[in-house]
Amino acid sequence: MLLNYFKIAFRNLLKSKGFSLINIIGLSIGMASAILIMLWINDEVSYDQFHEKKDRIYEAWNRNTYDGQLSAWNTTPKVLAKTMQQDFPELEKTVRVNWPSNFLMTVGEKSVMISGNIVDSGFLQVFSFPVLKGDAATALYDNSSIVITRKLALKLFGTEDAIGKNIKIDTRDNFTVSAILKDLPTNSRFNFEFLVPWSYLRKTGGDDEYWGNNSTQTYALLKPNTNLEAVQTKMKGLRKKYDKDEPKGEFFLYPIKRWRLYSNFENGKESGGLIEYVKIFSLIAVFILLIACINFMNLSTARSEKRAKEVGIRKVIGAMKANLIGQFLGESILISFLAGILALFLVQLSLPAFNNLTNKTLAIQFTDPVFWAMFLGFILVTGIIAGSYPAFYLSSFKPTSVLKGTFKKVNAVVTPRKMLVVVQFSFAIMLILSTIVVSKQLKYAQDRHSGYAKDNLVYHFTTGDIEKNYQLIKQELLSSGVAKSVTKTSAPLTQGWSNSWGFQWAGKPADDKTIFDRFCADEDLVTTAGLQLVQGRDFDLEKFPTDSLGILLNESAVKAMGLKDPIGAQIGDNGEQWHVVGVFKDFILQSPFYPTKPMVVEGAKAWFNVIHFKLNGQNNTAANLKKAESIFKKYNPNYPFEYKFIDEEYAHKFQNEQKIAKLSGLFAALTIFISCLGLFGLATYMTATRVKEIGVRKVLGASVGSITGLLSKDFIKLVLIAFVIASPISWWAMDSWLKNYPYRTAIEWYLFLITGVLALFIALVTVSFQAIKAAISNPVNSLRSE
Amino acid sequence: MIKITNLEKIYRTEEVETVALNKLSFEVKEGEFVAVMGPSGCGKSTLLNILGLLDDPDAGSFLFNGIEVAKFNERKRADLRKHNIGFVFQSFNLIDELTVFENVELPLIYTGVKTAERKRIVEEALDKMQIMHRRNHYPQQLSGGQQQRVAVARAVVNNPKLILADEPTGNLDSSNGNEVMQLLTDLNEQGTTIVMVTHSEHDARYSHRVIRMLDGQTVMENLMA
Repeated sequence: MLLNYFKIAFRNLLKSKGFSLINIIGLSIGMASAILIMLWINDEVSYDQFHEKKDRIYEAWNRNTYDGQLSAWNTTPKVLAKTMQQDFPELEKTVRVNWPSNFLMTVGEKSVMISGNIVDSGFLQVFSFPVLKGDAATALYDNSSIVITRKLALKLFGTEDAIGKNIKIDTRDNFTVSAILKDLPTNSRFNFEFLVPWSYLRKTGGDDEYWGNNSTQTYALLKPNTNLEAVQTKMKGLRKKYDKDEPKGEFFLYPIKRWRLYSNFENGKESGGLIEYVKIFSLIAVFILLIACINFMNLSTARSEKRAKEVGIRKVIGAMKANLIGQFLGESILISFLAGILALFLVQLSLPAFNNLTNKTLAIQFTDPVFWAMFLGFILVTGIIAGSYPAFYLSSFKPTSVLKGTFKKVNAVVTPRKMLVVVQFSFAIMLILSTIVVSKQLKYAQDRHSGYAKDNLVYHFTTGDIEKNYQLIKQELLSSGVAKSVTKTSAPLTQGWSNSWGFQWAGKPADDKTIFDRFCADEDLVTTAGLQLVQGRDFDLEKFPTDSLGILLNESAVKAMGLKDPIGAQIGDNGEQWHVVGVFKDFILQSPFYPTKPMVVEGAKAWFNVIHFKLNGQNNTAANLKKAESIFKKYNPNYPFEYKFIDEEYAHKFQNEQKIAKLSGLFAALTIFISCLGLFGLATYMTATRVKEIGVRKVLGASVGSITGLLSKDFIKLVLIAFVIASPISWWAMDSWLKNYPYRTAIEWYLFLITGVLALFIALVTVSFQAIKAAISNPVNSLRSE
Repeated sequence: MIKITNLEKIYRTEEVETVALNKLSFEVKEGEFVAVMGPSGCGKSTLLNILGLLDDPDAGSFLFNGIEVAKFNERKRADLRKHNIGFVFQSFNLIDELTVFENVELPLIYTGVKTAERKRIVEEALDKMQIMHRRNHYPQQLSGGQQQRVAVARAVVNNPKLILADEPTGNLDSSNGNEVMQLLTDLNEQGTTIVMVTHSEHDARYSHRVIRMLDGQTVMENLMA
């Protein structure tokens, strides 16, 4: 029987090539989109889920009240891990992971800058990163041991065995390779190429036991069958017990399974995160697939007359309804299978571009039987969804009417087919509007004035001897004409690395915990960055040597501190008294979607990591950079010249939103394409069934325009209904999305107008092609054929 | 074999109520060849649909081989139909996408006959209908007479006890029509009961008995010589 079904299915496919093509192409695009989204979702939900002990791994988080708001964050004091280990018998291990470090690694003549982590020795016993060579249990217990990835081993040692070999870090410290790890999976929060033991941080002066310095990440591995609640209660009381300055603060443990998707906190409580996008994209995947399935449903039921006779005959000679349902489902599964194969090709073709768009390295696991099982399941489910309605619809025909020719299509005001077209276009309209709003929000933030001059502004980290030779480098950059001005800062101008509520000034209320961004610059910050001074002056160590303890404030800081006459005001921080020398207009240090925060820029007595220099715009940029490189190489010969342009770094702030805009645009375009494919098929069929009517109307004097209108108006009505349904839903969805951004654009009425007109235009073009073709055909032909 | 008593069928639309069968009663014995005649709209086709278990009556009794089938559900009707009844239509009603062989094979598929057995039975039926040489052709490649022979082959392939023919020669020229009527006569002589709806007095002459209908009722019964 199955063979008979497939035989008929194949012959029907070949007989109606046009419709088959529309069905297969539409379904394959829908399936390919769904597969791409599923690959993305699978990657997101699998983040850090490969660790064998994942059910017992937790990250320590802080919770405290500032400005009346509970805040939660995941940097902790370095002393926390040791304290937890000693106070909580429930813990098997605690490990710290310091911020990624960029080290110059030298092996013989070879030197490369590599990023990795300084970690506690138990790191590889908590987290499961497969060890290719060496012993995970002991690899980090020797102070001079280093664990490297296979990629780094190849980079430094080629194909030689790296175990036991020496690596020099930052031209001074020798380490011995104790283990080689398999290259890290991309679906992990960790992205290191080496691990060195915590003792190195101690040796280089980076370690401390100060409870107020929340500067590292602390992880805990619970013993099996531990009562988590009991540990959480103890965690809560740790600050009270040890932190004299901040006894009201709390710690809590946050499970590994929620790190990636749920770790946004609002007022101290989880408030979502990437999971929102996982949900949205899951919904989009389901809808795109559904839209493609709707094409199949619509075209199958529209062509029902062609199959009615067959249904009647089969019923007469003994087919049960179930037999027929099975047959029609078999047909849709066959089409779904063909579409699935095509979809795999499409996915494989589009993966590089999709990976580029999503910044991932997704791939189809062709050798994994689980993938094939899921793929076949996917085909089956798609086939059943697409075929279910037509199967029930077609199998319910009564042989007495179909074989006598009294069978008539339903032409009611509301038919399932019309409803399905409305569903398709509603979704397409929602996606169009979403794309427009996301793009508008992006443009809105991009157009926001950053508060500084980004062009020709370059920065370089103070690697190796740069700090030592800073004055010489600065002088030569200026005297050679490469740079117009140079400043040394604590962080790049596009990143906030430090903040504090501990600043002291006259009149500060006792309970004030306003958080200020802390930035440091030696001199010429205002000139180099192009900040706008509103009061006072820039740092100038030559004229005012006391500027080493000077401070610049932004306008928000002046307001937050309530300073009526800020210049000369004394501000205490880190045990020093600083004096305000200038006030500048706020600039965007962090997110352009958020309001600027109060900001304090401390003078030369502070700490520095970065050099910013403004290239001389009168020279060619490439020549400037070449000269700059020779200057840096002269004074910092062992390290590569790795500069970054501030404007490019600033543009990265929009990456996420750009990605969303591109993805929603892509899926909107695909949805429209699939919907139009279906509409085109329907219009073709509907026009074909009205050939005689068109002929008669033309003979009676109807114009091409009136016939085109007659054939198009039904579809246009459906698109208008879809617009009415989709508009409030889109408004609600995009209004909710925009609420994530304090600095946001508005959803104006004209956006709806644009979307509606666009959807209508697209539908009209799709439908009227067939309508016009029918309207201009010679009526004699259609009437003769009758 | 067939006994219907006071059979009623009424078609209702919003505006009109049409009585298709009005307390119709008659009997068909096993091995009989009965022709049903009457003007268009007299209820012939409705009767045939009910006899073929494609439709159910609104009232009355329908005994098939002594079993009351008037209230059978869809599943039981389909089951009874596929084992006992063959159909021949005016417009042949072959499936265009299947070859001659596959069309004839279809009833056997639904009754669950094994492939090898099916092949044997179909070939036998095609042979009997002298259409074997066309086994791999599609219906649209055949003449009307050939198509009806295929339809008859399909109707008899399951060895049904009853064949219902709805104007089987209506779309054929006289020579092909005669051939088909001869086929039906042969089948009847081999023991198959036949009920045939026809407008043709010529075709009716092949039967043993003619039931004449008007407005859903039997108005006359003639025994043929």
